[in-house]
Amino acid sequence: MEKHTDKSPFFKTWNGWYAFVLIVLVLLIISFYFFTKRFA
Amino acid sequence: MSRIDWIVLIVTLCGIISYGIYKSRTSKSLDGYFLGDRQMPWWLVLLSIMGTQASAITFLSAPGQAYTDGMRFVQYYFGLPIAMVIICIAFVPIFRKLKVYTAYEYLEQRFDIKTRTLTSALFLLSRGLSTGISVFAPSIILSTLFGWNIYWTNIFMGGLLIIYTVSGGAKAVAYTQQLQLIIVFTGMFLAAYMVVNLLPSNIGFIDALQVSGKMGKLNVITTGIKKDGSFNWSDQYNLFSGIIGGFFLALSYFGTDQSQVGRYLTAKTTTQSRLGLLMNGLVKVPMQFAVLLIGALVFTFYQFKPAPLFFNQAQIEKVQATPYADSLKSIQHQYDSLNKQKEQYVSQFVISSQQNNSTAAIEKSWKETQGQTDSLRTEFKKILQKKEVGGDANDANYIFLHFVVDYLPVGLVGLLIAIIFLASWGSIAAALNSLASCTMVDFHRRFTKKILTDEKEYKLSKLYTLAWGIFSIIIAMFAYNLGNSLIEAVNVLGSLFYGVILGIFLVAFFLKNIGGRAVFIAAIITELFILFIFYLIKTKVIALGFLWLNPIGAFGVILVAMLLQSILPYEKK
Repeated sequence: MEKHTDKSPFFKTWNGWYAFVLIVLVLLIISFYFFTKRFA
Repeated sequence: MSRIDWIVLIVTLCGIISYGIYKSRTSKSLDGYFLGDRQMPWWLVLLSIMGTQASAITFLSAPGQAYTDGMRFVQYYFGLPIAMVIICIAFVPIFRKLKVYTAYEYLEQRFDIKTRTLTSALFLLSRGLSTGISVFAPSIILSTLFGWNIYWTNIFMGGLLIIYTVSGGAKAVAYTQQLQLIIVFTGMFLAAYMVVNLLPSNIGFIDALQVSGKMGKLNVITTGIKKDGSFNWSDQYNLFSGIIGGFFLALSYFGTDQSQVGRYLTAKTTTQSRLGLLMNGLVKVPMQFAVLLIGALVFTFYQFKPAPLFFNQAQIEKVQATPYADSLKSIQHQYDSLNKQKEQYVSQFVISSQQNNSTAAIEKSWKETQGQTDSLRTEFKKILQKKEVGGDANDANYIFLHFVVDYLPVGLVGLLIAIIFLASWGSIAAALNSLASCTMVDFHRRFTKKILTDEKEYKLSKLYTLAWGIFSIIIAMFAYNLGNSLIEAVNVLGSLFYGVILGIFLVAFFLKNIGGRAVFIAAIITELFILFIFYLIKTKVIALGFLWLNPIGAFGVILVAMLLQSILPYEKK
């Protein structure tokens, strides 16, 4: 029952979600780096 | 506070309490009371997770931190999204499959009763004390700022939320957190808008960023690497300590702390639990960036307006009543005249910058003046730390509120004060619910032979919630007399225990050949080692940021347990 409801929405698998979260983190860190450089 | 502010404050607080009571209806069982009948959608889980993590200090301290130290504090959260992914992969499926009430129940199934009891006891100790401090920390700020009686402020801060937390359990906690966060975000957005709006008319948002950036307040990314190329281990917040130390702290907090585990166990399905956690991984870093940015903008604001020498006025009054009053007068006099100079330099800087002229010379003078005002603040802090004065030299928590009270319009002040209450209530309510669930499930139910009906367990759980609420208020009352060092110790309390608790869970999940006896002894040895390191840090024998205690604790348990298991016989379960 639980397994049936454990489908990943939007991405085909949960790995897609995990990759998405980590990519967003990397992009945020890169943007923060340029933000720091821009206003330093 | 004006009458309108009082009305806004009282209406907001009463509204939340009424809403909490309205949402209190659950089935009269442990499932209903501690897990909201496991019926919550992902977005409610997300808001509940965020509301539990974000206390009043998050919204008060973070802007103050950005004002004094810059925005680099955001790096503390860089490990959080990675931790969310690991929890979704390893922790959530097991907790949900076993249908546990507390995370520690799993440890008995995997190891033995003593490991479960030790871990749950460590949680009760650290969370119980830190909840008391969560009541006290915002109360002392409000009582200092408005002259309110600290004991009554503690009672209102920790007492009113008990009404709906006791009556409605996890469901009331989650629904009120949702409303609380909406109000908190609205208030913070309005405050941010007002900071920019109150700047001189020729200063736009980008100009404001340029001003704080030039003064080093937009240092979002720092590496912690010194000029000689070595790594600064005592630096609290940098990219590496944030990703590694922050990851272990977040993994432990969200994966093994019942105040968080209890939130995502309320979800309808594993999918809803995972979505709530992953969304938290997506929004937490930008949210914290935004809160810190408000602090950086407040810094810009005070470049154009006279900033107080020290933002906690009560401490200034304390010094005035000592033989150091004359020194204070002299410092204040120099500080005021430097502030006027600084205001001129910063205005010239902005004009030159807008006209694309060279700003190097003005920048140099401005930075020198800023350096001088910083030195005067340091000098004043040294006076505060003198034995005869015995003051609190940290005013970071007062900076944002000082701005709110002095410059925001009537009504908004009341809303911002309400936000302090609501943010506190969100985290305290979840903590009380989790403390009661561990007491009931890991101790009462586990160690009493008498079998109780669902309704009796439900009633007893309410009593435990009430008891922990009263305990937190008592701790808050004592905290006033304990002094800053102990409060600071309690604030890093999480890092003293989290690493070890995480180590136990990591062994449970990933090292199947290690048994209960080895991990139990390893946990005790490592905990003593962590406390010893903490003692060395406090006595300045070694310099180490507290975030590093998390990986040390986790790896310590894993390594010692592996070593012990190679000596001890494996006990079959």
